[in-house]
Amino acid sequence: MAASGTKKPRRVMLILEILILIGLLVVPLVTSDFHTIIATRMLLLAMLAISFDLCWGYSGIMTFGQALFFGVAGYVAALLANKAGYVQIWGIVPICMLVGLVSSFLIGWFLLLGKRTPTIIFVALGTLTASYAAERLVAGWQWVGAGNGMSVWDFMKVGSYELEPGPVFYYVILGFLIVAYIASRWMVRSQLGLVLAGMRQNEERLAFFGYRVQRFKALVFSFSGMIAGLSGGLYAFHEGFIGPGSMGIGLSTYAVLYGLFGGVGTLLGPILGVGAIETIAFILSDIDALKPYWPVILGVIMLIVVAYRPTGIMGLIVTDRERIGSFGYRVGDEPDAGGKDAKEDTDGTA
Amino acid sequence: MRSNDSMTRRGFLRGSSALAAAGWTAAGAGWVLKPTWANAAGSIKMGIATDITGAIAPSGNANWQAAQLAVKQINDAGGILGKPVELFLEDTASDPGTAVGNVRRLVQSAQVDVILGGITSAMREAIKNPIVRRGKTLYIYPQLYEGQECTEHLYCTGPTPAQQCARLLPYLINEKGYKRFALPSANYIWPQLLNKWARRVIEENGAEVVMEEYFPLDQLEYSATVAKIMSEGVDHVFNTVIPPGLQAFMKQLYEAGYYDKGGQTCVYFDENSVNYVAARELEGVYSCLDMFHTIDDAYSAQLISEYNALFPDTKYLFSAGSAATGMYRGVKLYEQAVLATNGDLARDATSAAMENAAIKEGPGGPSRIIPGTGHAEMNMYIAQSRGGKWDIISSEATVPPQECA
Repeated sequence: MAASGTKKPRRVMLILEILILIGLLVVPLVTSDFHTIIATRMLLLAMLAISFDLCWGYSGIMTFGQALFFGVAGYVAALLANKAGYVQIWGIVPICMLVGLVSSFLIGWFLLLGKRTPTIIFVALGTLTASYAAERLVAGWQWVGAGNGMSVWDFMKVGSYELEPGPVFYYVILGFLIVAYIASRWMVRSQLGLVLAGMRQNEERLAFFGYRVQRFKALVFSFSGMIAGLSGGLYAFHEGFIGPGSMGIGLSTYAVLYGLFGGVGTLLGPILGVGAIETIAFILSDIDALKPYWPVILGVIMLIVVAYRPTGIMGLIVTDRERIGSFGYRVGDEPDAGGKDAKEDTDGTA
Repeated sequence: MRSNDSMTRRGFLRGSSALAAAGWTAAGAGWVLKPTWANAAGSIKMGIATDITGAIAPSGNANWQAAQLAVKQINDAGGILGKPVELFLEDTASDPGTAVGNVRRLVQSAQVDVILGGITSAMREAIKNPIVRRGKTLYIYPQLYEGQECTEHLYCTGPTPAQQCARLLPYLINEKGYKRFALPSANYIWPQLLNKWARRVIEENGAEVVMEEYFPLDQLEYSATVAKIMSEGVDHVFNTVIPPGLQAFMKQLYEAGYYDKGGQTCVYFDENSVNYVAARELEGVYSCLDMFHTIDDAYSAQLISEYNALFPDTKYLFSAGSAATGMYRGVKLYEQAVLATNGDLARDATSAAMENAAIKEGPGGPSRIIPGTGHAEMNMYIAQSRGGKWDIISSEATVPPQECA
C-alpha cells in the first residue's frame, strides 16, 4: 500500500481524535453540573455504540442485541450494590466487564460457532431475540425488581470517596472511554484488524486462506460484549436506576442507530453518532411542538443516511482510504498502534 | 384570574387559554407555570414529576391539574409568607427509564425546593433516588400504594394498604358473603405487597384466595386467567392489574360473563376510571379511597367545583385513585411545613417540619403526617360503582396509615 499517499489524510483522523478529546476534556469546565451529567450519560452510551461498531463495522457481525450485555452487567452492578452492599469501583468494573464478556461469549458461541456458518440475518435475529427474551425475563422476575427495575441507592465508591454524578464522575467515565477506545483501536489496527477487514470484504476467501473466521468473530463479539458490560455497569451507578428497558431491543436498536449515523468502521463514528443523536434529542425535548415527531425525524434521517451515506458522518469528514486505514506491523506510518505485539498475537491465533 | 395567568416555558410565553386541559395533554416536558405576581425575595419552586403522556396519562394529568389548583389557591391568598409558588412540570411519560432523566432536570436544572409526583410504585422507586439521594431534595409521593416506603425525606400523602383494606375486605367477606378470591395482578411491587396484605386479611376473615397471578404490565391476553376465574368458582376478583394491561383484562373478564357471577374490587378505581375502561365494566366494582365525589363533605365539594371551574372541559377529574387528592394534600402540607420553618426552604428544615404538618380541611377531610412515619392519616370511604357514580357504603374518620412506626 502506498505510504506517502495516505500520510496527509491520516492526519485528519488524528486531528479529529485530538479535537474530540480536548472537547470532551473541557465539557465539565464550561457547562453546568446538569449538562455534565447529561454528557456523562452520552459517554456511557458511546461505549455501547463502540461495542456495536466493533461487531458490525469491523467484523461483519450484525448484532441487534448489544444492549443485552449492557443490561445484564447493569443488573449485576445493581444487585451487587443492593443485595450485597458492594460498591467499590475496583470490584464493580472488572466484574461487569467479566459479565459482559461471559454473556456475550455464550451468545456468540451459540450463534457463531455452530456447525453451519451463520448468515448475517441469522445472527441479527439471534441477537435480537436474545435481547428481547432477556428483557421479558427480567420484567417478570421479582427478585430483580420485575417491571419496576432496580433503583441503585448507593453511590459507587473509590475507597471511601463517593462518586456522585457530576464532573468527577464525568472524568472517571471519560477515562474508561479512552481506555476502551485505545484498546479497540489497537485491536482493529493490529494484524487481527487486518484479518477482520479481510473477513468483512470477503469472508469465504479468508476461510479458504485457512482462517477460522467464526472464531475471529466470536473473539470480537466477546470483546465488544466486555465493553458493553463495562458501560452498562457504570450506567447503572450513574443513572441510579436500571430497568428491563436497558437490556431490550429499544436500546439495542439505538446502539445500531448511533453507529450507522456516526459512521461504522471508524471508532470515532459511534462517539459522534451518540453525540449528535443524543444532543438533538435533548434539545428537542425542550421543544414541545417537535418532540412527538422526534422518532419520525430520527427514522427519516436514518433512512437517508443508510441510502445515501452508508459511511455516516465520518464519511463526510475522512476519505475511504483513511477510514479503512492500515494495519499492524507497518509501524512506520502508524505511530500509535502496537504493531509488533499484534503481529505475534495474530500469528499465533491464525 | 385565569386570564392573567401566563405560562412561561423556557422563556416562551403562551396564551392563557392553554391552561385548559386539552392544551396541556399534548404538551411535553418542561413546563413552568409562573405566578401572576412576584416577590423581590424570590419564589418557592415546586417541581411536579408526573405522567403527562403514556399509559398512566389520565391519572398524571389529573395530578398536574390538582397541583395547579392547590398552587393557584395559595398564590391567590398571597403565597406562602409573601412568596409566590412557582410550578415546574416534567413529564415522567409512564416510563421509569425516561423519568430518571427528566426528573434530573427538576433537581439539577430548575433546582426546585420540593418535588411532588410519581404515580405507580415503579415510578416512585425509580425517581426517589435521583430526587432524595442524588438530588438531596424533599420528595412527596401522592398516590395510594403498597406501604413500607420509609425513606427519609420522602412523605407519602396517599392511602396505605391498612387504610384501604383493613375494613373493605372484612366488609366484602362478612357482609357481602364473598368467600373465594382471585388476585390477578401486574408484576411489580405494589400488587405484590398489597396482595400479601389482602391475603392475610382475607384468610383471617375465613375466606380463601383461590388464585394469585402476576402478569407483565403490558400483557394483553388474559383468556387463560379469565377461564380459570370462571371455572374455579371465584366469587370476588381483587384486581391489581394496571394500565395498559388493565383495559384488556377488564374487557375479557366482562365478555366472559363474570360480572353476573361475582364481584370485583379495584382499590385505585375512582371517577377517572372511565378514562381507562368502559362504563359497563365499572358497574358494581368496589373501591376504598380517601375521597369520592359523592361524599358528604362541604370542603371537598367546594374543591371539586373550583377544580372544574379552573379546567372546565377536562376529562381528567379531581379524584383520589388518580392521586389528585394526595397531590393537593401534599402541596397543602408542604405549605404548612414552610410556614412552620418560617420560610426556610432548606431540605432538612422543611423535611423536619413536614413531620408535624397538618391541614384542617382537605379533599375527603382533614389530614396530618404522623410524626416519625412519613405517612398521613386521612378519612377513608368504601364505595361501589353504580350507574356511573360511586355510592358511598361507609366512611371512617382519621384512619391511621400504620406504616414505618
